[in-house]
Amino acid sequence: MKIVSLRVNGAGQAFIARPGTTLLLALREQLGLTGAKRGCAQGACGSCTVLLDGQPVVSCLVPAVTVDGAEIATIEGLADGQVLSDVQQAFLDGFATQCGFCTPGMIMSAEALLDRNPDPTRDEVNEAISGNVCRCTGYEPIVSAVLDAAARRRSRAGEGAKL
Amino acid sequence: MLTEVHVPEDVPAAVGLIVSGATVLGGGTSLMPALNDYGSPPTELVSLRRTGLSGITVTGSTVTIGATTTLSQIEHDSRLQILNPVVRSIASVPVRNLATVGGNLFVPQPYGDLAVALVALNARAVPAGGSGPAELPLERPALVTAVTFELPAPGVFKYVKAARRRWNSASLVTVAATIVELDGLVSGARVALGGVSDHIVRAAAVEEALLGRPLTEETVAAAARAGLGELSPADDAYASAWYRTRVFPVHLRRALLGR
Amino acid sequence: MPRVNPIDTEYFKDERKAGDFTVIGTTVQRSDALGHVTGRTEFFEDRTFPDLAHVKIHRSAHHHARIDSVDCSEALKVPGVLRVITHRDVPSNWYVVLRLIGIEPNDEPVLAEDRVLYKGEPIVAVVADSEAAAIEGAARVRVGYTELPAVFDVEEALAPDAPVIKQAGTNYFVYEGHHARRLRFGDVERGFAQSDRIFEWRYSSAPIEHAPTETTGCIVVPQSSGRLLIHSNTQAAFFTLDNTALILDRPFTDLQVKGGTVGGGFGGKVDVMVEPLACIAATLTNRPVKFVYTREEEMQVSSPRAAERIYIKDGVTNDGRILARKVMLYVDAGAYSRHSPYGTTKACAHLPGPYTIPNVYADCHCVYTNRTPSSAMRGFGVTIADFALESQMDRIARALDLDPLQFRLRNAYRDGDLKAHRKVAEGTALIEVIQRAAALVGHELPDEYLALTSTTPRGEKA
Repeated sequence: MKIVSLRVNGAGQAFIARPGTTLLLALREQLGLTGAKRGCAQGACGSCTVLLDGQPVVSCLVPAVTVDGAEIATIEGLADGQVLSDVQQAFLDGFATQCGFCTPGMIMSAEALLDRNPDPTRDEVNEAISGNVCRCTGYEPIVSAVLDAAARRRSRAGEGAKL
Repeated sequence: MLTEVHVPEDVPAAVGLIVSGATVLGGGTSLMPALNDYGSPPTELVSLRRTGLSGITVTGSTVTIGATTTLSQIEHDSRLQILNPVVRSIASVPVRNLATVGGNLFVPQPYGDLAVALVALNARAVPAGGSGPAELPLERPALVTAVTFELPAPGVFKYVKAARRRWNSASLVTVAATIVELDGLVSGARVALGGVSDHIVRAAAVEEALLGRPLTEETVAAAARAGLGELSPADDAYASAWYRTRVFPVHLRRALLGR
Repeated sequence: MPRVNPIDTEYFKDERKAGDFTVIGTTVQRSDALGHVTGRTEFFEDRTFPDLAHVKIHRSAHHHARIDSVDCSEALKVPGVLRVITHRDVPSNWYVVLRLIGIEPNDEPVLAEDRVLYKGEPIVAVVADSEAAAIEGAARVRVGYTELPAVFDVEEALAPDAPVIKQAGTNYFVYEGHHARRLRFGDVERGFAQSDRIFEWRYSSAPIEHAPTETTGCIVVPQSSGRLLIHSNTQAAFFTLDNTALILDRPFTDLQVKGGTVGGGFGGKVDVMVEPLACIAATLTNRPVKFVYTREEEMQVSSPRAAERIYIKDGVTNDGRILARKVMLYVDAGAYSRHSPYGTTKACAHLPGPYTIPNVYADCHCVYTNRTPSSAMRGFGVTIADFALESQMDRIARALDLDPLQFRLRNAYRDGDLKAHRKVAEGTALIEVIQRAAALVGHELPDEYLALTSTTPRGEKA
């Protein structure tokens, strides 16, 4: 058992981790952040995707004690009060959810893509979400929503530049 | 059952723990799936995350990649364009952000496409503890601190990975090769294959069939026929052994001739 | 969002009242989408309870075997293991989920007793105070087996020399005394005799796994009232409640199921697989208990869509009228009934497809083999039958050099036709759907086919 400290969505957090406690289980069971899901515990479905020091990772494969001191971003930290992030709003407006189980991981992968690449092609979106399985097979509206979110972000950045 | 995860701050501490029986954990993308869901004898892990082994240096044409460098770091390093298609053919973004170069040397087939490419590039593994660089694939497990190789001339390195899907799928057949031509004839060939055996295959018969001949359809077809004897594929969830054998010549041709 | 295809309001407009369809064709936000995009939708596993215990299963290593011994002593030595559960701990071990609609016999044990009928069948449940300890404990259970001959093919299972794997004495489900769900209409042999051509082909499908992103699971929380609160991702809350109560031998009112939020189901979460054992574990330990499948369990032992084998023999006139259709259909139920007796009946009810054929004969067999039990999945019984029926239609059209849509229109059922099950067809609309589909893809139809309607009765001679 070790005490692990993280900054999660900007706030300092600490918890006691067993050897087998993955980052996913720590977030879900010890910090109460259940947005990231366990779909496989094999790194194959992407439902547990969170940002570790800004990079999307499958949190089910990360022993919590190995990332002591890291910066973590989860789906819970995206909205600013009632105001959704561009990606969240685009998923909502574009009917890019069905059962909702893959959605948090899918959105975190999309956020990371747009942080790195503000104007991705459809193909680049496909690659970026290739680790996120949507078994309801709603990929087309999901990819469209990510492109829509990119456009919203760029237009917001353009407005910012004008001010 | 996982009983301890050590996170040492340097290589000597990691080596000490390994000597006392702990298992090396790189990015965890191969080891953790087994530990998450299956029983096992008491297992201690040594995470290399804090041992300072991450980083890429390019000096002249010599590339050195630290063992805990992630596949994503390679993907986004403009000096390593040569390996960009290789790492992007492996798993998915959130896995590549964890998976390490060192770990890729030890994953079971049909995974380990980067290691296949490194064999073709004649890369050496730098072991911890002083003994000299070792040829890949490694004959026995060891703590590797880095891999190093010489960047080939443009166009010399060839790579094709055939998979069920375009992204995020394991190898059916992976072909990596360095082919040097002189006066219209193949003067140097190093061919490594993934997906076609329980280990990475250094395809000596293919190399021999290429050497001294022009790189043509006929030569490559003959090399593929020669290479069939070096394949020992297995049936798995991705493809049957029969299928892998059947499509090997196609992917060898696509890798070497680009069509 | 603009619609890809606008709603076509031309067809059947006389049958609609003004003011109908105020929602269809408009954009309505999903009521659950905000929860999905913010990660606040609460799935069953998104609840944490102090003192939560975990169930993991030791499963059969063989397809068909007698169980000689079960040794749990090593499992009990794993630190954190609270106890093991065997069939002796299950109050009413034998069940069939469909008993709620009168299907019998109870043919499946919650935990295996003296034999296993498929690889992966649950034998022992281990309860522990951590998931890791439960996994470790389950791995350390030792079972001694004597392997028995296994059967993996539906037709081999029905052969006279096949090993009988079911305790009821037949490798098929018995429908009211018959070996199959039967359909008899007209005289199929006379129909064949009157036909110009006979076409007979075989169709088969493999099992299909639903592979929901969220694996099957539940958390059972003992209440101070003595009741058990079941947080479940079942697609069938009341089936689950009723069957679990019958297995526990407790009144239905002792259980409460909270569910409805399902991380992908597709029919794969209508069996009652995790709740009974989680309830027993919660009762025996008086702790909240979670039982959730690993990904491997979801892929290997959750019931898939059944494999089917279908033989279709058709008698057809040279101008494309089907006079007789005979179907031999085999559903591979796997080792246990689950929902397959019902799925097979659905397959039979779907025959001979949406066509009016004067002579029909079908035997639809629900067959037991030593494969993973199959069960519900999206239109089960119908989907694979449709694959076979429509493949058959295309092949016949090709053989007769007929346009495949015209061939279908020629045989399409119409309002007022008597179907093979003695039901009068109504609201058929098949003709209009084919006409519209043809127009959308630019497939030209002759005027006589464009003039057909599903509401015009088929003439005596047609």
